[in-house]
Amino acid sequence: MNPEALGKVIFYGSSIALFLIGLYIILVKRNLIKLILGLTFIESGVNLFLVSIGYVWGRTAPILNKPELMETPSKLAVDPVPQALVLTAIVIGVAVTAMALAIAMLIYDKYGTLNISKIKELKW
Amino acid sequence: MKRTLPLLLILALVVVFAYLFATKGVISAPTELRPLGKFYLEKCMIGGDFAAGSPEAVTSILWDYRGLDTLFETSVFFLAIIGSLMLFSFKVKEVVREQELTLVVRSVTKIAAVMILAVSASIALHGHLTPGGGFQGGSALAVAPLLVLVAFSRKILETSGLSLKRAIVIRSLGLMGILLTALLPLTLGGYIMQNLPIFPKYIADQLTSGSLIFYNVFEYLAVGAGFTAVFLLISIPEKNFVEEEK
Repeated sequence: MNPEALGKVIFYGSSIALFLIGLYIILVKRNLIKLILGLTFIESGVNLFLVSIGYVWGRTAPILNKPELMETPSKLAVDPVPQALVLTAIVIGVAVTAMALAIAMLIYDKYGTLNISKIKELKW
Repeated sequence: MKRTLPLLLILALVVVFAYLFATKGVISAPTELRPLGKFYLEKCMIGGDFAAGSPEAVTSILWDYRGLDTLFETSVFFLAIIGSLMLFSFKVKEVVREQELTLVVRSVTKIAAVMILAVSASIALHGHLTPGGGFQGGSALAVAPLLVLVAFSRKILETSGLSLKRAIVIRSLGLMGILLTALLPLTLGGYIMQNLPIFPKYIADQLTSGSLIFYNVFEYLAVGAGFTAVFLLISIPEKNFVEEEK
């Protein structure tokens, strides 16, 4: 396998693996904190996947800091669009995680447990 | 032991899927840029009427070409922060910290917190030239009070002037700054969030890329203070805080 394909296998493989690890945590675990951790795993997997889709093998960052980059940027730099989208997604993800943690603290304050199978009001 | 076989199976599936994705073109791995990315790359610094005036293509997209996108993503971010601020209507019980952290940890935290402040300001102010910007700088800025929270206590932070109320005020000032920078071109006969002809590309012979540096600075303040407010809320106050020897 040539290094280019190997690099792509590693990028896509690790993003899919991160997503599946997060899914596994969400499906199996019962602790709210672990569920939130699983969510962040899924988020990292999706972000890594988006960034690696925009990556073109052997090219440099989309910052025009050299004369040759300034002349023909579309031959030398990677796609900046996915990076710009992922950038905001990461920060919003952290804020949403903070909010989820706040809700978890509220639930612990009210029910005295973080185990979702012991919170009776969640069942129907 | 019982879970080893399914996990190994999943691992094998992941590798096979990744191999198929990468080599068989299930998702066409790019060898050329898409037209949109090419446009942004070619126009961001020297694009005549379409230029953002910044060599950093990602920041140009973030605050100029797709500026409204970022504006609304910022509002999503702050709705999340407001949500967590609202959720904390209950009073967290004060606890007694049984053992304080060692002198090594506290001294290193003092040095590291100051250095983090400097680095985060540098990340934010160079956002239009190098990797970085308001979001990243603000996230780095929020680490400094978090370190102090863990190594010392919440009360040390509050007595040294960074209370919850003040963090919320700084966050609101940053948001107002973003809003004013977005609306200012309207009063000068431009479009909303317009960048270059309205804002100067160079200030005192320094490349400031028009409005990008203003957005970065205000976003830096808003994100850093917003995260600090949430950290202050999540932290548990301690009864016996140790006064640092001067």
